[in-house]
Amino acid sequence: MSLTTESRSDQAGREMNLVTAVNATLRQEMQRDESVRLMGYDIGPIGGVYRATQGLLEEFGEERVIDTPLSENGILGTAVGMAMRDCRIVPEIQFMGFFYPAFGQFMYTLVKMYERSGGNLEVPMTVRMPYSGGIKSSEYHSESTETYLVHTPGVRVVVPSTPYETKGLLAASIRSDDPVFFLEPKKIYREGKEPVPEEEYTLPLDEARYVRRGEDVTVYTYGAMTRHAKAAADSVDADVEIVDLRTLSPLDVETILESVKKTGRAVVLHEARRTLGMGAEVSALINEYALDRLKAPVKRATGFDVHFPGHQTEHAYLPDEQRATDAIQAVMDYEF
Amino acid sequence: MSQWQEQRPSEEFYRVLDPDGNVVGEVPDVDEETLTRMYRTMVTSREFDEKALRMQRRGEVSIVARATGEEAVSCGSAAALEEGDWCFPSYRQTPAALYWGADMARAVAGMMGAEPETVDEHLPVEEEPPVSFTPVYVPLAVNVTNAVGSAMVDRFRDNDAVTMSYIGDGSTSQGDFHEALNFAGVFDAPAVTVCQNNQWAISVPAHRQTAAETFAQKAVAHGVPYDRVDGNDVLAVYAKAKEHCERARNGEGAGYIEAVTYRMVEHNTADEESVYRDADEREYWEDKDPIDRLETFLLRTGVLEEGDPERIREEVRDEIQDAVDEAREVPVSDPETMFEHHLHEESGGSWAQEHQRQELRAERNGENPFTDFTGEGLE
Repeated sequence: MSLTTESRSDQAGREMNLVTAVNATLRQEMQRDESVRLMGYDIGPIGGVYRATQGLLEEFGEERVIDTPLSENGILGTAVGMAMRDCRIVPEIQFMGFFYPAFGQFMYTLVKMYERSGGNLEVPMTVRMPYSGGIKSSEYHSESTETYLVHTPGVRVVVPSTPYETKGLLAASIRSDDPVFFLEPKKIYREGKEPVPEEEYTLPLDEARYVRRGEDVTVYTYGAMTRHAKAAADSVDADVEIVDLRTLSPLDVETILESVKKTGRAVVLHEARRTLGMGAEVSALINEYALDRLKAPVKRATGFDVHFPGHQTEHAYLPDEQRATDAIQAVMDYEF
Repeated sequence: MSQWQEQRPSEEFYRVLDPDGNVVGEVPDVDEETLTRMYRTMVTSREFDEKALRMQRRGEVSIVARATGEEAVSCGSAAALEEGDWCFPSYRQTPAALYWGADMARAVAGMMGAEPETVDEHLPVEEEPPVSFTPVYVPLAVNVTNAVGSAMVDRFRDNDAVTMSYIGDGSTSQGDFHEALNFAGVFDAPAVTVCQNNQWAISVPAHRQTAAETFAQKAVAHGVPYDRVDGNDVLAVYAKAKEHCERARNGEGAGYIEAVTYRMVEHNTADEESVYRDADEREYWEDKDPIDRLETFLLRTGVLEEGDPERIREEVRDEIQDAVDEAREVPVSDPETMFEHHLHEESGGSWAQEHQRQELRAERNGENPFTDFTGEGLE
C-alpha cells in the first residue's frame, strides 16, 4: 500500500497523532515478532521522555523493553551485538543531539558489519531518535544533523511527516534487514491527528511521495517542514508540487528528477544547516541530470550554518512558511 | 633519542607452569588430546606468523600483526569455550580461531586483500566451526561492546552459551571497553572479556596507558569478577577462563581476565619497534616463551615424546603451505564487489549505488562515465 497523495480523509482508522502512531506501531511489531526488542534510556516505567514507549514495559516485560544505563555508545554497541544474534532491536536515542557519543559504534560496527562480513552477518536494527527544533528546549535537544547519517553507506535514514506515514514507515523499518535510523520530528509529535488504519501496512523505504501535484515549481522537503511547504503552497500565486523525500537515504532520485523535469523550478526546504545538507544533494542531482529543464536556479530554504541557537532565537533559525514562500516566489520570479 | 622506560609487570598473578615448565600451581583437568591440540595450535600460529611475515616481505600481503609470543592468551582462553559459544576477536587472536578449526586458506586470502564475497565464492565454508567467530575487528574495543550485546541475547533467551571477546592493554583506555563491562555487569551477561596485556600499544607502554596498578582491577568499577593470570602460561589462562565461562554459563554473569604477556615482535609490519624498545627486554621475555614452556611440560609428562615437536612443526608447515597455495589460486576480486552488501535490495534499492556501479563499469571499459545528463543511466 503506497501513499502518493496528501488526502487520507477517506481512510478509516483510529485517530492518532505522530507519537501515538509510534507507540502503536512498536506495540504491533512486538506482538507480531517476538525477536523485536526495544532498548534505551528512560524507556521503561516512564515510557520515554516523549512517552513513545508508554505501556510497553508493562505489556512485554523488562527483557523486551530494556531500560539501559545512560550510555548511547553502550546502547548502540550492545544493540549491534544483539542484532547480529537474530534479534530485531529498536534502540531509542533520547535526542539526536545525544547521538554523538555513539558515533564510534555507528561508524565502526553498525553500518559496516553486513558489508565487512560479505553479507554473512546482518544487523537488523531501527534506531529511533526524536530530532529537530521548534520545541524551545535546551542545548543539543534540537539538532538536525541527519547529514552525518546520510553521508554514510550501509544505513537507511527515514523521516516521517504524518501519523499515517509514521506507522507504515516504522513497521517497514523494523521489518527491514538493514540498519535504519528513524528520525521523529518531535515538533509535530502531537500536532494534529489523522485516522490511522488498525490493520498492518508498510510503506516503501526507497520512495518519495507526492504530497500534492503542481505544474510550476517543486518543493522538496521532509519531516516537520512539510507543513510549512503546504502552507506556503497555499499562499503563493503558483501551482506548487510538494515532494516529501521521506527516505533521505537511499534517496529516490527518480521521483526527484521526474518532478523537476516537469515543473522546471525547485526549492529544497529543510531545518538542517545548509552546507552539505539534503538541499546540496538534491540541488546537485538536478544540476547533473536536469539542468536543461530548469527555468530558474535551485534555491535552498534551510537553517543556517550555525549551532542551533537558544530558544529565544530559534524561530529566526528555523525555516517557516514565510521563508518557504520567499524561496518559492524568488524562483517563480527569476528569468534567465 | 629518548625512549619510554619499560617497566616489567608485577608477577602477582595466577600461574600453573613457571617459565621453565615446572608445575607450580594446580594443573587444570585437561585431557591429553586437548593439551596436544593447544600445543599444536600455538605452534601453528607461530609458523603461520612467520609465513605471513615472509609473504608481507614479498609484497603478497600488505600488513601483518603477529601473535608471536602471545599465543597462550587466546589459545588458552578459547579452549575454554564450547560448541555454540561466540567469539569476537581483535587482530592478535589467530590461535583462538585456529584452535576452533578456522579455515587457514580463507584467512590467507583475506590477508591478501580478497573481498569477503570472493573468498566465499572460491573457498566456501565446508563446515562452520562449532564456536562462531565474527570477522576480526580492527577498530579498538568496539568488539567488546558488541560481544556483550551477543551475551545479553543468550541471557534473555536462557541459553547457556558464552560470548568471549578480546581487548589489548591500550584498548582498555577506550570508552567502549568500559561501556561494555558496565552493561555486562548490569545485565549479568554471560560475557567473558580477555585483556591481552602485551605491555605495548604500538609505541606506548602499559604504564603510560593507566595509573591503575593492574589492568585487572579495571573490572572492579563495573562489578565484574576478574582474575589476573600469567599470559605466557597456557594452563593458567585456560584454568581461569574455564572458571569464568562456567560461571557465566550457569547464569552467574560476566567475567574479566587480564593475561600478562609480552609483544615479542613489532606491533605490525608498518611499525619500527627499534625506535622505542630495548632489545634486552625482549631477551628477558624470550625466556618466558609460552610454546617452550608447554612443550617442556608435555615432554616431561609424556604427553609428547621426543621427536614429536619437530614432527608437529613439519606437519603444520605443510598445512600452512597448502593453505597459502590454495589462497593464491583465488582470483583477484571484481572491483564491482565494492558495491555489494551495503543495503538489502528487497527493502528498497539505491539509485545512487546502481548509477555509480555503472560509472565504474564504464570507466573500466575505457568509456567516459560522465555522459548521463538525464539521470536515465549510461546504457
